[in-house]
This record gives sequence, C-alpha cells and structure tokens, in this order.
Amino acid sequence: MPFDQALRFASIWLASTSFIGLTLGAGLPEWLAALTGAALILALLRNAGGKSMGRLATYTLMSTTGWNLLVIVGFLGFWVDMLWVSGELLPAGVHFLIILMIIKLFNLKLRCDYLHLYAISLVAILASGSLTTDLWYLPIFLLYLFVGVWTLLLFQLTKHPEEPRILTMSVAMRPHPLASVSQITPQFFWLANGLALATFGLTLVIFFTIPRVGAGFYQKGFGENIRTSGFSETVNLGEIGPIKRDPSVVMRVELSDSLPQQAGRLYLRGVAFDQYDGKAWTNRLNYRRAVSEDAAGTFVLRSSRSLTTPRLGDTIRQNILLEPLDTPVLFAAPFIERISGKFPSVQSDLTGSVYLPFPSSSRIEYSVLSRSNSLLPEDLGAEPGVYPESVIRHFLQIPSQPERIAVLAKEITHTQRTIYDKATAIHSFLTHNFRYSLDAPLAAQDQPLEEFLFTRKTGYCEHYATAMVIMLRTIGIPARLVTGFLATEWNEYGSYYVVRQQDAHAWVEVHLPHSGWITMDPTPSSIESIGSGSLAWHALGRMLDTVRLQWGRFFVQYSAADQLAVVRELKAGSTSARNKAFDSISTLFSPFMAMFGGMADYVSKGTIQSLAEVLVPTLIGLTLLLWLGIRWPWVKGRISKKTTRDEQVIMRLYGRMIGHLDRKGIAKLTATPPLEFVRLTQERWSSAGSAVASITELYCRSRFGQIPPTREELSLAEDHLRDLMTLEKP
Amino acid sequence: MNPTGIIQAIQDNIARVIKGKPQVIEMSIVALLARGHLLLEDVPGVGKTTLAHSLARSLDCSFKRIQFTSDLLPSDIVGVSIFNRQKQAFEFMPGPIFANIVLADEINRTTPKTQSSLLEAMSEAQISFDNKTYPLNQPFMVIATQNPAEYHGTFPLPESQLDRFLMRLRIGYPSPEEEKKVLDRPQLLHPAEELQPLLATHDVLLLQEQVDHVLMEESITDYLLAIVQRTRQSDLLSLGVSTRGALALSRAAKALSLVRGRTYCLPDDIKELAPIVLSHRIMVARAQGLRQRSCERAERIIQDLVDSIPVPV
Repeated sequence: MPFDQALRFASIWLASTSFIGLTLGAGLPEWLAALTGAALILALLRNAGGKSMGRLATYTLMSTTGWNLLVIVGFLGFWVDMLWVSGELLPAGVHFLIILMIIKLFNLKLRCDYLHLYAISLVAILASGSLTTDLWYLPIFLLYLFVGVWTLLLFQLTKHPEEPRILTMSVAMRPHPLASVSQITPQFFWLANGLALATFGLTLVIFFTIPRVGAGFYQKGFGENIRTSGFSETVNLGEIGPIKRDPSVVMRVELSDSLPQQAGRLYLRGVAFDQYDGKAWTNRLNYRRAVSEDAAGTFVLRSSRSLTTPRLGDTIRQNILLEPLDTPVLFAAPFIERISGKFPSVQSDLTGSVYLPFPSSSRIEYSVLSRSNSLLPEDLGAEPGVYPESVIRHFLQIPSQPERIAVLAKEITHTQRTIYDKATAIHSFLTHNFRYSLDAPLAAQDQPLEEFLFTRKTGYCEHYATAMVIMLRTIGIPARLVTGFLATEWNEYGSYYVVRQQDAHAWVEVHLPHSGWITMDPTPSSIESIGSGSLAWHALGRMLDTVRLQWGRFFVQYSAADQLAVVRELKAGSTSARNKAFDSISTLFSPFMAMFGGMADYVSKGTIQSLAEVLVPTLIGLTLLLWLGIRWPWVKGRISKKTTRDEQVIMRLYGRMIGHLDRKGIAKLTATPPLEFVRLTQERWSSAGSAVASITELYCRSRFGQIPPTREELSLAEDHLRDLMTLEKP
Repeated sequence: MNPTGIIQAIQDNIARVIKGKPQVIEMSIVALLARGHLLLEDVPGVGKTTLAHSLARSLDCSFKRIQFTSDLLPSDIVGVSIFNRQKQAFEFMPGPIFANIVLADEINRTTPKTQSSLLEAMSEAQISFDNKTYPLNQPFMVIATQNPAEYHGTFPLPESQLDRFLMRLRIGYPSPEEEKKVLDRPQLLHPAEELQPLLATHDVLLLQEQVDHVLMEESITDYLLAIVQRTRQSDLLSLGVSTRGALALSRAAKALSLVRGRTYCLPDDIKELAPIVLSHRIMVARAQGLRQRSCERAERIIQDLVDSIPVPV
C-alpha cells in the first residue's frame, strides 16, 4: 500500500480508536455515537472505496463556509450543553470534541487537517482515560498506541515528497530519493509495530517509576454504584429475591493464611436484624459508634464479644476488594475482630455489623481478621430460659402472628430438650419440607411468612431464615436474621472467591448461652449450579476476572506509596515482595528499578561526581541510540522493496570502481552519465574497458532499472573489480 | 522476434540506403516510437527525403509526400469537399495528410496559413473540416524538411509549430568513404524502392505502446527537470524549454531506451537527446549570435548546459 493511502487509513483508525474509547468511557448519546460511526465509515469508504464510492462520499461535502458555520454552531451547542443539557463541563466538552472530530473527518485535505485530527484524537483518548479505570481501556489504549505510532511514522515519511522540489546540486546528487520508497514493506511493518511495542514497554516502566496523581480523576462523577438491597435498616421480606438473578460482581475475597476449602462456602456477614413486624425486618440496634483505631491503623472491634464470655474459635483472615455499593456496610466473615483498610473511620453497631461513615464511591480494599464462635460442649445440654435481659429484650420479639406458627414450632420441637437440638430440629424441618425457588411470592403480601409455611411451601433464603427465626423465638430461643453474601464461586486462577449480586443471602444466628451467636442456615443448598453452561467458558470467565482484578489492583489503585514500596524493596534487594504479582513484576523490572534506586541515591547524595557517573553512561547510551537511528537505512527513508541488500552491494562496488579509476587518473565528472563514462574509460584505458562496462551495466540495471542483480552476477562483478584493481594502467 | 531485434533490423534496412548515418537513422526511429514528428534541417541533397522514404518503406505504411511551395493551400494538405451530384451532397475527399508517414518537403517555403493547417494534424492526430472531425491513420508521423542555407522567399516556422516537432535532426555530409559507397551503387532504381517492409502498422503501434512501459527512475526525472529548469534560467537564452518540451524529452528518452534494448532509462539517454530534442524549442538571446547559425548555436548552448548539470548517481 502506498504511504499516503496508508496514512489516510491510519489517521481514520486513530480517530476511530479514540472514539471507541470515548464511547465506552463517557456514554455518548446514541445519536451522536451513530453519527460519528457513520462519519468514520464514510471517511474510510472515501479512502478505500472505488471511484463511485468516492464520488458518493464527496457528494455530501459542503463548502468551507458551511463547515465553519457548523463549527460555530457546534461551539454554541457546547455552551447550551454545558449550561442546560448536561450541566457539566466534561460531558459537554466531550460532545463538542466528537462534533469537531466529525467535522474534521469530512475535511481531511491538507496536512494540517491531519494534525488537527491527531490532536482531537489525543484529547479524546486522554479524556476517556480520565473518565474510566476499567479494564477495557487497556486494549483500547494499546490499540491507540499502535495506530498512533503508525500514523506518526507515515506522517513523517509522507512529508518530504510534498515539499517543493528545489533542484540544487545536492538534490540531484542524492543517491536515494525518498519518493521511490513510498511503499509499505515488511521491514517497515515490523519496524512500526516494534516501535509501538517498545513505546508500550517504556510506558510501563514509567508507570511504575514516575510518581503520579490520583488515578481516574473524574471517575467519581461517572462511576455508578451497584444497587443492592437487603442491607438497609429496614428490609421487606422478599426484597433480596430480585437481585438474586444479577450476576454483577460485588466483591472478591482472598483468604490470606488458611488455604481454604476450595469448593466450600464462605458466609460474608452484612447486617443483622432483630425486629420483625410480619412483613419487614428492622434493625433496632443500629446505634453506630466509631471504632477505635490502634497505632498501626487497624480498627479493633469487641462489641460482639461483650455479650458473652468469649472462647476463641477459628480465625479467618480475608482480603476483600469491595466494588462501590450503595450501602456503607463492610462485609466479612462472622465475626469481625480487626479490620484495616484505606478508610478514615469505621463504625459498628450492637449486632457486630461494621459500616463506613458513608457508601464508598470507588472500589475499596480492606483486610479483616474474623473469629467465628465455636459451639461449646456445655451448650449441647443447655435448656432455654437462661438469657440475659438485653438478649431477651431484642431477640425474642414476635410479631402478632396467628397461633399456628407457634403450634407448628412446638410440634416440631416438643420431643427435643436442649436449645441446640430444638434449633437443629427446626433447621432440618425447614431444609427438608420446603422447596427452594426464586419464583417466590412478592413482598407485597399480607402474611408472607404464613404463606410460605402453610400455603406455598416454596421460597428462598429470606423466607427460610425468617421462618426459622420466628419459630425459634416462639419457643423461647433468641435468634436473629442476618443478611450478607454466601460466597461459593472459587476462582482457581487468582485464588479468591468471586461474590456476585446473585450470591446475596439471608441466614440465621442463634444465640446459645455459652457459645454466643452461632450461624445456622436453614436454606437448602440447592442453589442452581453455576456451571450449567460450558465449563471452558466459565473457566475463561474466571480467568478474565482474575486479569480484571490484577488490573484494578496494580494499575488503577497503584499509588505513589506502592511505588515507593517497590523501589525500597528492590533497593534493599529483598525478595520478600508483598505478594506474588509484585514479585513477578519486580523481577521483570528489577534492572530499571535498581537503576532508578541508584539514581535516587546519587541524587540524594548530591555530589556532582557521582551524578556525572550516572549522566555520562546515559549520554553515551543516548548517543549510541541516535547513531543507530541515523545508521538505520529505513529511518533515512531508504526502505524500498527494491533496495535489497544485493542492490546496495552493487552500488558499493560501483562506488569503489569509480574511486579506483579516479586514483588512476580517470575522473568521473558529476555531469558524466554512466555509459559515457564507460566510453571515456575505454578510450583512455582500453584494457579496463570490459570490466568497467560490465560493472556499470549491472549498476545501471539495478539503480535505474530496479532489476536486482543475481548472486552470480554480483560475484562476477566482484571478480571484475578485483581484476581491475590488479590491472596496471599504461 | 523481440522488439530490440525488430528495431535493429529496421535500422539495418534503412542503413542500406542511408550510408554512414546510423545515429540519424536511430533517432528517426526513436521519433516514430515516441509518437513524435521529425524536423530534418539541412542543406539540400544529403538524403532528407530519402531517409523519410526509406523509413516509410521499411514499415509497410502508407507514405505521402507534399512538396511545400508558396502557392500551396491548406486544402491541398487536408483535403477538399466536392459536390456529389448523385447524392446531392458535399463529399469530403481526404488530402495527402491521410497517410501514415507524411513527408512535408521544404516546409518553410509555404505560407504560414498552410503551415498552420498542419498544426492540428500534428498535435491532435485529427483533421477538422466543415465542422467534422476526421481521425488520421495511426501511426501518424510528419517528417518535415527545411533548408537552413537559403532564406529568400521562405517563411520561417513559428515557435509554436517548431515546438510540435519532437526533434530536429541535422544529417550532415557523409564521410568520403561512405559517399563513395553511395556513388558506387547502381543508379537505375531509387535506393528506397528496393527496401522490403519489415513491420506491419499494427506492430508499430505495439512498439509505441511498449515505450509507455519503459521505466524512468525518479532521479532521472529530476535530472531531466534540472536541465529544463536551467534552460529557463540561462542568460544565453531568451526563451527556455516549455513543459511540452520536457514531456518530449521524457518520451524520447524512453523510446531511445527501447531502441537500445533496455526497459529503463539512463542519464545517458537524456544527455544524448537533450540537444536534438530541445534545441529547436529555445530562442537564443540576440546578443549571442546571428540568426542564420542559430541551429548549431542552440545545440551548442544546450550541450553546454547539460554538461554543467550533475548526473544522478
């Protein structure tokens, strides 16, 4: 493909890439996106299509005045957009940018038009970068980088032929005019892509070494929190149902020390409820107090411990990456003992739930140490009736229900004596006699619980849990409803649980006199298996999710502090990086990091001598690079599918022959054409004539006829030249 | 047979008649292949007409000779309309211009009006008569001769018309040995009548087409343009070479490459052709010499210009 056509192509692709970036990042209005798409396609067609297509496309052109008017209208539209429609500078600016891009696409005539288009594309890709931190931005940006390198290379290479030809001596003498090479060759192709790759590598190094400001500056205004339900102070029965079909990811949980039961289940506790009025659960114990922070920045909770005599159970240490939700609840396995993360303060209520002061608008990461209550042996024999006042007041409340629930509870448990046995009996009754289904009755029923227990016998976790809590309370056992998530989806590639909206769950906590609150889940584990589709597909999905997690962790949330840590660790030569990924990255970049660290050292010492020690090698390296750049023939624009190595060989041979003849007294004047020179030589040195003639012939053929010489011809020419060198001039 | 062989055979064929002038023969074939017209300027009796005649004979082309005199009228060249009684309409009777090779002998002897009737024919290869356009036969080539020695009663060709000739050749006197060969020849028959046609008109057209495919490398084009540019800047010349002149030089160089058996042009081609292709397109400044000697003078100036321009390496 000729350079100029390739340049037009690359320019349009560049604009397309930045446009895609903006569309994904800013959520353009449909009409604008469609218009731009149409403009891009039209521009491509004008470039690629045949004559008829070209005519069709040029038909839509307006006069320059028309376009200028359009720009002014667009600018006015920008003000209207900013003041009334969008109401914000950034979206209005983005819209205006897109309109400018459309106008430019129809006006690609001069070289400066191309430059304008590049500027618009650059601003667009930067804008989309500031609007989002999602993973899809990475491929788009990479594509932009590749196309950008291509475009700028082509732009530079097509520059010369357009310049006015000044026929000076030097131009006429120049051996390789650039225009003869205006074709994309394989060499050029790989060079361009290689450059793009090198740029990316360099960018990566810069990313990890140069300090930056906060990522995703405008992300707040656009990132929408995931709407979830079941974690507010009042929850209607049946509210969790609708979100049980939503597969969007809510959080990811890594278990740091104990490598877990891979296929196991992990309860992530959110909020507990004590009051039920027949339709909705309410948390009356929602008085929140700030949790004190220790010196290391860890928040230590003891509230759940204060109710009972603590006896240490198993601890679980989790790292949780929580997506922005519309609730301030911090989820963790029951019960949270210590929690640390990048938040200024943490609150907790009397049921042991932990909250942020307000819902986070960005993804947060925190680590939690949880300790579950284990069932103590003395509780196995305990009977109801020995509870502290605070427990009885809150966790034995029963709504004014028909008697039959109480009757049913008594009926189930009358053979059992201890609290634990009674609870187990109700648990197994619910587990075995009811059908799990998400096509459950709506929340607006009069008596949802009765409906569930006696009429439909079908429901989901909330119904099961509510039924169990109420039945336990009717027989005098304190219990409460807990909502949260039940993590079941284990990602084996990243070793973490993926928790989705559909994993929202409700279960029961039963209070035992000695052990405290024990988790019981009456819902049968008949949750539809996720792997119903093709296994490979799901594996791929999990793999992609891992990549997304790493992206979020190492790129989006990679902060100056992290950088410092990396540099410090590398400087110390410490191999105990904070985790595996940091390990791999640091080994990959250790030379750079070491250089960086070393440089920082020198700079901090401040001695000029040591600074010079760094600077001099750097300068030498740069000079070497520059020299290489000048030496590279293709950088000079000498690339051509015709300029093969063989051709350069014959050029050199010819040059040596001319030089030799010059020394022998037969000078080639600049105005002497090759064949005339042959005649001249033959007249003055007849014995050399044949050798000179054959070398000249080969030279002319490959230089002006662009017919590359064969190997045999070349070796023959070399022989001729050698003969010529040995000849004695009379 | 390959093009080079055919062309060589034609040259040999003509050389049997025109002795000792291989360069002139070669150039006349170059002019033919480049779809150009030829102006032969020399004293009488050196074989101008014979050259044209033998070229036409070698090609199996129709050949017409027009002797230009001061009373020649345009209709004598182009043709006339004659009333046809049976059809009750005028009928166009084509003139001698409707031939493949037209020899315009002593072209400077006729009036400018008649000279200019050749104009359209030479540049457009067609004739307009009575609001009708008649295409000429292809290939079409005008070979004009003029006598530089005698200026009485002549109408020198205007610049515009000179520009339409691809090249101006001087034949010159043959060397004594060659002249002797001419004299030794039996005089019964006109030498050109002996020649056998070697090439059909169709093949001539094919060869002309091949000229278009000859490669001219960019640096050679630059070289050519540098020469043209220099003629426009030179103090010795009051009129430089036109764009048509540059085009003519390019075409002629390609044709010469083909004649010499190459598929690409060399700087040598340009350098060799520059004097004969460009010299009649320029005007020598008044101070530089008398009009009579302008032919050699112009060629000399062009040669000097070319010698000062560096050749692409």
